[in-house]
Amino acid sequence: MYSNTDTNNKRTLASSTVGGERYEVKRHHGTKYPHLLNFYSVPPTEEITIDEFESFAFDRLQVLKALEGAILRNKSEDDVKKYLEETSNKWLPLHSNESSKAYLVQEERRKDHISHFILRLAYSRTEELRNWFLKYECALFKLRFLRENPTEKQAFLNDENMRWKSLNQAEKKLMKEELNACSIPITTDGEFCDLFEIDFEKVPDLVARRAVYLKEGKAYVPVTQQLSLVMYEFRQRLAKALELASKSFITLRNERIMPMLDEIIKQYDGRTQTSNYSVINNPIADNVHQLVDHFPLCMQHLYQNLCENHHLKHYARIQFNLFLKGIGLTVEESLAFWKKSFSKVDEDKFQRDYAYNIRHNYGVEGKRQDYKPLNCMSLITKHRPNSGEIHGCPFREFSQPNLKAKLVQMGVRNDEHIREILNLAEEEHYQVACTKYFEITKGLLDKNNDSIIIETIEHPNEYLNASVLLEKNRKKMSNKDK
Amino acid sequence: MANFLGESYMDIDDPEVHEDNDVDMIIESSSNKEDDKERNFWKGSTNAKPDKFEIEEGSLELLRVFYKRFFPYKTYCYWLNYSIDPMDKPFQNREFNFVKPGDDEVYMRYLSFDTIEEFKNEVLRVCPKKIDIGAVFTAKPKEKKSLKLSALKPVEKELIFDIDMNDYDEFRTCCSGATICEKCWQLIAVAIKILDSALREDFGFKYLLWVYSGRRGVHCWVCDERARKLSDDERKSIASYLGVIKGGAQQNKKVHLYKNSLHPSLTRAHKIIEEYFERVILEDQEVLKDEREWTKVLECIPDDGVRRRLDDDWRKNSSRHSTEKWDNLLAELESSTKMTKNQKKADSLRVCKIEIMLQYLYPRLDEAVSTKMIHLLKSPFCVHPSTGRVCVPIIPEECENFNPMVVPTISSLYNEINDYDRSHVKNDGERSLHDYEKTSLSPYIKYFDKFVQSILKETLAKNKAAMQMSMEF
Repeated sequence: MYSNTDTNNKRTLASSTVGGERYEVKRHHGTKYPHLLNFYSVPPTEEITIDEFESFAFDRLQVLKALEGAILRNKSEDDVKKYLEETSNKWLPLHSNESSKAYLVQEERRKDHISHFILRLAYSRTEELRNWFLKYECALFKLRFLRENPTEKQAFLNDENMRWKSLNQAEKKLMKEELNACSIPITTDGEFCDLFEIDFEKVPDLVARRAVYLKEGKAYVPVTQQLSLVMYEFRQRLAKALELASKSFITLRNERIMPMLDEIIKQYDGRTQTSNYSVINNPIADNVHQLVDHFPLCMQHLYQNLCENHHLKHYARIQFNLFLKGIGLTVEESLAFWKKSFSKVDEDKFQRDYAYNIRHNYGVEGKRQDYKPLNCMSLITKHRPNSGEIHGCPFREFSQPNLKAKLVQMGVRNDEHIREILNLAEEEHYQVACTKYFEITKGLLDKNNDSIIIETIEHPNEYLNASVLLEKNRKKMSNKDK
Repeated sequence: MANFLGESYMDIDDPEVHEDNDVDMIIESSSNKEDDKERNFWKGSTNAKPDKFEIEEGSLELLRVFYKRFFPYKTYCYWLNYSIDPMDKPFQNREFNFVKPGDDEVYMRYLSFDTIEEFKNEVLRVCPKKIDIGAVFTAKPKEKKSLKLSALKPVEKELIFDIDMNDYDEFRTCCSGATICEKCWQLIAVAIKILDSALREDFGFKYLLWVYSGRRGVHCWVCDERARKLSDDERKSIASYLGVIKGGAQQNKKVHLYKNSLHPSLTRAHKIIEEYFERVILEDQEVLKDEREWTKVLECIPDDGVRRRLDDDWRKNSSRHSTEKWDNLLAELESSTKMTKNQKKADSLRVCKIEIMLQYLYPRLDEAVSTKMIHLLKSPFCVHPSTGRVCVPIIPEECENFNPMVVPTISSLYNEINDYDRSHVKNDGERSLHDYEKTSLSPYIKYFDKFVQSILKETLAKNKAAMQMSMEF
């Protein structure tokens, strides 16, 4: 079956002018994917099943998200590599040509290729999504490039036509002194290693570190710094391709594909857990206050306000009500909870103004839509609070001084921790800030717990569940100890 | 306020700015009447006492005269258009920012102009006490309110640098704060020389416009097309390449070099510094004069023994001149380098001399100004509101001889032109001079003209080449 699609693909590729030259090269190797690395210049043209479409995309997303979590939490490069290795092997294994006998490398690479293009399309929709995708695809490519052996790398670059103007011996001699001063590596026969002449704009990281010799706008880059060049090329191409994809996205009206792409983007928003959000058995209105310690900061904030003012405004109510729904409160219990909380509101007014909406959230009124508890991305991006409103994600909506005060109030006392969270919030990594908050307040950072990497918080209910489970596990452990 | 008094700049997102370009400014009369008033003002001043006038009427009228008679509108607009007529996107989509006259800081933001006349009329109407230049956008900034946010994106802007005397205050002994003298100007002059050569020789830029900021700093506008098109990341990499001085007030040693080799760019900077170090740092600033000063220098030396020996010696002979003390320091460093068996230590002592020299004379750049395309920077040829000096271009080759104290001010220009008009009766057939040609502003405007012409010529040549290319096809 595979070979069938393969020939199909070859035919389309060969007839397209874009892939013509590259196709020649690849036929020479006798396989469709001669290299583990891929610049993703040519889109896949074969037919795939809906199931594949979905599973490929989700699997790649797992890898990118794992990468995001590891990088944002400042893991060392080695840790990131190790972590990536584990997640890759699970979701998107990719083996080098050396192990081509043991693994179905062609299948692996096909999945890598197709999944990249599905996500590229899905994530081209907004600038925010494009930037996210670009960042972590670059990180993924870089780690793969570093992992690959030199011969394979060179073969790949040759096939991709990544060649730069090299200096000859005479040219090197002319700038011998300067090259020496820039610590250009010297080969065993006492000559400088290969040097490329490149526009300085293409190696910003090397320029920034004064790691190259610059002369009249040209940077002289030793072959040992090749990675910078490759990454520049990869980033530029992908950024351009994403822009293009975003334009085609507008014209794309495929009834089968669009809903799936929507679904994929939702994954960025947070996991879609359709049922059973909760790890708590049959919670009732009177139990809610016992769970407060497990609430994420956004819900703590709402709950505190509710207790103080016996009232919450519209969006805050929706946010909190759906959260309760996620915990597992039935519509009756939820109504009981709100009635109790809105103690200053008389029965008539409550029924008239509030009860309908609460039931509506549960899908027992109006158009009977079963609303899902809001995930972090909706809280962060939709219905941003106006003056006087307190809903949304505190890591986004609080000013730095207010966030700091809040953190202190919630028991984060270590200056280092506070600064770390404030920085993440300021850099707009709200969910990572929340995750950090979790790790700090739950004491995951105290005992050499570096091995525990909790995944980035994507949903308030996920936070609650993680917290509840953590407590259960700890109790179990301490019982065992006894 | 503080922002304005410093050689200020602003981010486009700066929330502190009042945004009220709709509020009209203080000019009451219609423009016709104003012209009359202007003329009377000139006539009146020729027969009476101009000096007294200046005090009585305040500087707003002088500023108006400046904008009316001296500001080089045409050259200025051609410069920002990067080609002669017709005015095109580089000019029309350029963001300007005016600060209204008066004690309050009232900003008019997101201004843009379609023609030279429109720009000139608005300048004359508002009489801004400061003009800032921002980036060129994908659309006209003045249409901001009717545009989608995504339609207004910055696309190009000169690469700019800001060197401020403020940053030298930690060792400047001749003056402090806003004051400046010929001695401390030399610090800026050396910075200009180093930065100018790095931008030209390392990055290959050709069109560098250096401008005196009107008080105690200079700005550099790199106008090459390649520089204008740099992305923020690329700007950041250049700023970092040129950023040798690192660390704030809590950090005494601000330069850390690789121990075994000096980058060619720094070697060149070091060579320039060697020419000036003795005169500027040791003689003029006398940075080793008393204990408070020399301690700062000694803290850059990575060896307790050397530090202590020098400190003891100088305490005993504190009247010794800075140049002599510097010789002591060099001798001590050299002998210690020879004595030590620790190779690392020897390397760090050897490089220490250069580190100190760079710390004192390598340009201290305000990185934030250079790294963001949308950053606003005070325009050339506007007037510094507290000194009245015109922000004139500086010729980098002659920057040592530039004297900020004799830069024309709006009141000196006013006096000069009056003197000229009083003493010169125009003969028939004689070419009528531009107003600026009658004053000490003349050489600056002529230099600016020449600078802009050289850029325009290149654009022209490029267009021609492009034209020929397309003809061939």
